[in-house]
Formats: sequence, structure tokens, C-alpha cells
Amino acid sequence: MKPLLQLENVNSFYGPVQVHFDLSLTVPENAIVCLLGGNASGKSTTMKTILGLQVPKSGKVTMEGRDITGLPTPEIVRAGIATVPEARRLFGDMTVRENLLMGAYARSDKPGIDEDYEKVLDLFPRLKQRLGQKAGTMSGGEQQMVAMARALMARPKLICMDEPTMGLSPLFVDRVLELIATVRQTGVSVFMVEQNASMALSIADYGYVLQTGRIVLEGPAGDLLADPRIRSAYLGDTAA
Amino acid sequence: MEFLSSLISMPWLDYSISGLVIGSIYALMAVGLALIFGVANLINFAHGAVFTVGAYIGWTCLVGLGLPLGVTIVAVAAVSGGVGALIEWLAIRPLNRQSRIAPLLATIGVALMLDQIIHIVFSPTPRALPANIPDWRIAVGNGTIGAIDITIFATAVISAAALYAFLFRTKLGMAVRATAQDDDAAKQMGVNINAVNMTVFGIAGALGGIAGLLVGLYYNSIDPNASFQMMLKGMVAIVIGGMANVPGAIGGGLILGLIESWGIGLFGASYRNLFAFVLLLVMLLFRPNGIFARGKERAAEPMTGTFVTQTKAITLPRPLIWVLIGVAVILPMANMPYITQVMTNAYLYGLAALALTLVSGTVGLVSIGHAALVAIGAYASALLTTKGLPVSLGIVIGGAAAALIGTALAYPAFRLRGHYVAIGTLALGEIVALVILNWEGVTNGALGVFAIPPLEIFGLPLYGTKASYWFVLALMLGMAGLQVRLLKSHLGRTWKAIREDTVAAETYGVSSNYYKGLAFGFAGFTAGIAGAVTAHQWSFINYDSFNLLFSVLILTMAILGGLGNVSGAILGAILVAALPEMFRTLAEYRMLFYGAALVILIRFRPQGLLGSG
Repeated sequence: MKPLLQLENVNSFYGPVQVHFDLSLTVPENAIVCLLGGNASGKSTTMKTILGLQVPKSGKVTMEGRDITGLPTPEIVRAGIATVPEARRLFGDMTVRENLLMGAYARSDKPGIDEDYEKVLDLFPRLKQRLGQKAGTMSGGEQQMVAMARALMARPKLICMDEPTMGLSPLFVDRVLELIATVRQTGVSVFMVEQNASMALSIADYGYVLQTGRIVLEGPAGDLLADPRIRSAYLGDTAA
Repeated sequence: MEFLSSLISMPWLDYSISGLVIGSIYALMAVGLALIFGVANLINFAHGAVFTVGAYIGWTCLVGLGLPLGVTIVAVAAVSGGVGALIEWLAIRPLNRQSRIAPLLATIGVALMLDQIIHIVFSPTPRALPANIPDWRIAVGNGTIGAIDITIFATAVISAAALYAFLFRTKLGMAVRATAQDDDAAKQMGVNINAVNMTVFGIAGALGGIAGLLVGLYYNSIDPNASFQMMLKGMVAIVIGGMANVPGAIGGGLILGLIESWGIGLFGASYRNLFAFVLLLVMLLFRPNGIFARGKERAAEPMTGTFVTQTKAITLPRPLIWVLIGVAVILPMANMPYITQVMTNAYLYGLAALALTLVSGTVGLVSIGHAALVAIGAYASALLTTKGLPVSLGIVIGGAAAALIGTALAYPAFRLRGHYVAIGTLALGEIVALVILNWEGVTNGALGVFAIPPLEIFGLPLYGTKASYWFVLALMLGMAGLQVRLLKSHLGRTWKAIREDTVAAETYGVSSNYYKGLAFGFAGFTAGIAGAVTAHQWSFINYDSFNLLFSVLILTMAILGGLGNVSGAILGAILVAALPEMFRTLAEYRMLFYGAALVILIRFRPQGLLGSG
């Protein structure tokens, strides 16, 4: 598979504190890749680094071979990376319709935006009846839908999702997984940061495990699911 | 009954019409402040200066160039919009990564500079603005509406409509609204936040400039000294409406206009500003989210501990301190009475700055109403000693009065944080000045207090500049020493803990109100004796002796030295108070100097010269 997004030997710092140690990872085209890790492992910083919200001290972030390290976020969005931020971060006082249009903010191809708008609503038909509703008044699950639809409106090649299942009811977690799989079927890659390892690995193609800023384990999702180290660390399997 | 019937027979309709007209101008001011607060999370103190720029561009077009009103409005909007955008670009954007108080202080600096530039270009006296608007009035009920009222109201409505079209019908407008709600998320959608900020400052500037022109038209004259008052009116309006709430700001402006107009009808014009500030305080205390918000809860401001820049303070080596004190003690021996006098003055500022640096730096409550404490001390001592009380006793009572009254006044504001402390203290400062102005029976009103007896210690008069110099120096060093001791004690640690994280401190059993009260009490005493000694030095004070500018000056000194830093406060006072006096050319452009100093300092050394402690 062709690599889409690559991080090569990234070293990030918060002041004097080093967060990433030679972090390297690859998201191929049309794939779901997850990054697993506990609190303070550097997951969120990885997300910020990709989006240009945090500039690494050394190392490179490339998108389709193009160096995007340290570019301003709008540029990175135009390079084809959209996000579903942690806790969704919808524009709560704006309508669902406006939230979707904000997703297409970096684009200027009006016909293309209209086309994607229809497509996205076909993908999430429930949003059709809610277009005029303020996003902040919706349930958590519906908000997650809006967040994903908003990301798709950018016509991205890659969507980065920061803990997409956080704060959702167990019932809805499955629904979100289906949505992520649906998104991938449209030809978009998904890079997902998660604490919930079994859930993430169940739909991912490939996984990385981050521990205090270092990749300590990586492999195809199936292998990781079976790996005793993963089982003991994340899946509560004390027998291993 | 007679009172009631006279109340009913008052021209309420006329009051209401003029209230709505003035209110629509306040609304224009407030909308700009609300937009800026929304996207940049900042109270733009330079907004009043942009208002004044608008007024003078309007004068230049109407009177200087003889342009028609329509063209003038467009020109005013364009120029003041440009000034607004420039402020964002030059003064605000570079402060991106600094503490939350930094841009607020930078706008104060910009305001001082713009005001002084207008004074230099157009002279500091008000001038006439003949508008050539027909002066007919039509009767409506038992009141009248004139062409001027309609012109102003229509201009305000059209401006507001244009703003709405922009916010809700354009892509950039949508980005502005999105940024106001969540700038990080907006950025991740590809919004260029800098462009949004600049746009908003531009729009706010344009609206503020138009407001300046309209006020000029309404009163047929423009005043280069109206900046801060107008900015404050806009601020009161957004507090009523709910800070970042644009429709709320319009409502708040109209409400403020009406209340002011009715209040002036009932009590007279000298109370005009008092209504605004009392309203502001009441809102801050009881409905900090504005009257249009559903809940009473104030939105959490995630700024505890980050509102003021913290760094490692530079501790001056002990021998150096003794050498400096020694130099200060022998300075008058050089027989340069002018320098001695200037330094005495600087030490008095130093005393006031010591108090402020404790409250704002150590405890983290950034106050823009510090002059109130100084004024209370000054008035207490001045009034008592002119009635025969010994001066030294007067000074002590002045300090005690400032400590008690100041703490009591500030107490309700203790639960406020961040920006709200700044607004609340500002309102308190203005209210104290207005009470002094209006409480004629006690304070002698606008006339001030004359013939205040000169300094003396226990009946021993201090003749000459040298004696008062030493007295003031001793007082300042004594209070500074005491403050250093306090900071090293468990009290100092508690204060810093409250500053870093009030909630965390409370969970450890620290009653933050009690400790904030102690800080205000000690600071009030220091500031009060500074005021009292100043009063005896000057022999004359009035309500304007310790005004908003005075508060800003003291704050500049404390920031220059490093907020919370005791020796920094003294150094800052000497630099800010004494330097312009030493160079006469600087003195002429003093505000420009202070403003530029503040802006540059915050840009390049926000922690102050000696670092914040």
C-alpha cells in the first residue's frame, strides 16, 4: 500500500520536557491505523504535531511525500487532512448545516462542496432532519456524527480522530465503529488515537502502541489483538 | 403626593428618546467590544481611542474638507477600521503566546498612545462639529423627535444590519462566529485565525469610529478626552449583554442609554457615569453572564495561574541593595532640589506600586482601580487634618481608611477572576472618584480640598524638600521591608497558592477570601498612606487627582519592575515617574512615552525588568 501520511523520527518537547522520542509511523492509503497508549503517552501530542498545532524540534511529517512539518494548520487542512477533534469540539451555537459548511472552509470549489454536502447527508441520513438544529443541543452520538460529517466535508484524504469513542455510551461505541468503517469505504484513510485498545484494533488494519513517547510495539491489528503484551496492558487479561 | 405628581409630569418620553439615541451609539461601541472579546478573548481598552479617531476623521471630512455626511460616514468607517486592524496586527498578534493579561495591557498602552497622538495633531481641547442636519423636531405624544435623532438611530441600525449580513451571510462571517466559539476547532477546519482577528478588529474599529462621529453630531462637538469614558460605556453594555454576545451587546447598549437618560432626568447630569458603573458592578456580582443568559453561572475562565506571566525573579544581591539605599539616602546632599523633589514623588508612586504589586502580582488580582485606594487615603487624611487633626495621625488614619474601605469595597469582587477582576476594579475606581465628586457635603465636590497642612512628624514640621524626601524614603523602605518579610512568611506562600490555583488552594482548606482580604488590607494601608502623604505634599487634591490614568500608571510601574516583585515595583516607579521629568521633551509627550513603554515592555519583556515573583 502506498504511504499517505508519514512521521519520521519526530522529537517533540513541551519546554524542557521531551514528549516524543524518534517517533515514526505510517498511515497508508485507504487504511485505518490506530495509535494506542495510556495517559501521558504522547498520543494527543502526536495529533497536534500532524495538524501543525505543535511543531516538533526535529523530524519530519510528510503527506503524500510532501513535507508539511510546521506548516500553519489551514495549509495542512488543504493538503488533505481533516480532523475529528477530541470531545468533538462542534460549534455548539451554530446549526448542523453551518457546522458541515465549516468543514469545507478551506475549499473554494462551490459545486464540489454542494456535491459533498449531499453525499455526506446520504451517508448520515439522520442529520437531514436536523440541519437547522443547533449542534450543541444534540446528543453525544449525534454530535459524533456531525463531527465526522464535518470532517468529510473537507474532502480529505485522511481523517485524524482523537478518541472518537470517548464519553459515548457503550451502545453508541459500536455505532461509531460502523461509521468509521463507512468513512473508510469512501476511500478515506483514518488515523485514530485511542485508549480503548480492543475497540480500536477490532476495526483497524494496523496499530502502534505508544509508551512515554516511544513506539514500543506495532503490527497488523489482528496480531496486536493476539499479542499477550497488549492483552495484559490494555485488555485486562491478567492471565498472560 | 406632590413628589409623585412632579415625577409623573417629567418629560419621560423625551428622556426615553434621547436614551435610545445615545443607547444606539453605546450599542455600536459595545458590538465591537463583544466581537473582539468573542474571537480574541480580550477586552480592548483601545476601543475608546478608535472612537476618538473616528470623531476626528469625521471632523476633518465634514469641516476640513466640506464633504457630505454620507461620504464622511464611509471615510470614518474606512480609516478607523484600518486603525483597528493595525492595532491587532502591531500590538495584539505578537502576543499570541503570552499570558492572558498581556494583550489587555497592550491595548491600554495603545490607547494612551493614540490619545496623545490625537492631542498632538488636533490639540487637546474639544472643538465644534457643525453637522448641517436640519433642526426640525416633530411632536410624538408629549415628546419630540428631531432629524438628528433619526439620523443617528438610522445610521446605527444600518451599521448593525450590515454587521449581521456579514456574520450570517458570508463565509468569513461564519468563520468569525466559529472562531468565537472555539478557536482551536476553527483552526482545524482551516480557518486562518489571524485573518479572522484582524477582520474583527477592523469591523470593531469601523463601528467604533462611526460611534465617535455620531456622538460628535449629537452634541455638535468632539472631545479628545472622551476615549476612556466611551470605552467604559461600551464595556458596561457588553457586561449587561453577556460579554461575547453580539445581540446582547446591542440590547445592553440600549438599556444603558435608557437608564442613564432616566437617571439624569431624576438626579442630574453629574451622576451620569455613576449609573453606568453601579450597573456594571451589580451585573458583575449578580449576573456575570449578562441579563440575556439563561444560567447565573459565569462561564469558567481557564486562566488561573496563567493570567499573569510567571518567571523566576531576579533577587538583587544584599550588598547592592544596601549600596542603593545608601545612594538614595545621601542623594539630597548633592543639593539639587529639583531632582530631590522628583525622586520624592517617585517614591510616593513607589509606595502605591508596592501595594499594587502585592495585590496584582502576588495574589494575581490585576487591578485597574488602584487609584481608588490612594484617593481614599488622601481624602481621609486631608479632610481630617484640615479640621485640626495632627498630620501624622491623619496619615495613619488615611492608611487605615483605605485598608478598611478598600477591602470592604473589593470584597464582593473577590470571587471574580481574570478579566472580570480587571473590569470590576476599574468600576470601583471610577465609582470612588464619582462619589468624591458628588458627595459635596463631605468632600467639597469638584472644588477639591485646599490648604492641606504640610508634612510633619509628631508635631515636628518637615521644612524643605530634603526633610520630606527622607521621610518619604524611610516610609517606602519601611513598607517594602515589611512586605518582603510577609512574602517570606507562610502568608506569602498562601497568597501565591491562591494566585496559582484558587480552587486547589481552597481544597487544601485555605479560605481564599480571608487571605485576599488580608492582601487587600495590607495593600490598602500602603496605598492609603501613599495617598495621604501625597495630599500633604501637594496641599491640594480633587476628585481627578487619582484618576484612571493614575491607576494605569501604577500598573505600568508594577509590570515594568515585574509583577509581584518588591524591588521591581520601586525600580518601576522610579523609571516611570522620574524619567520623563528628567527629560523635559519627554514630559510633553508623557502619555506617548508611557503608552509606548507599556506596549514595548509587554511585547519584549512581559515578566518585567526584575522578573515577576
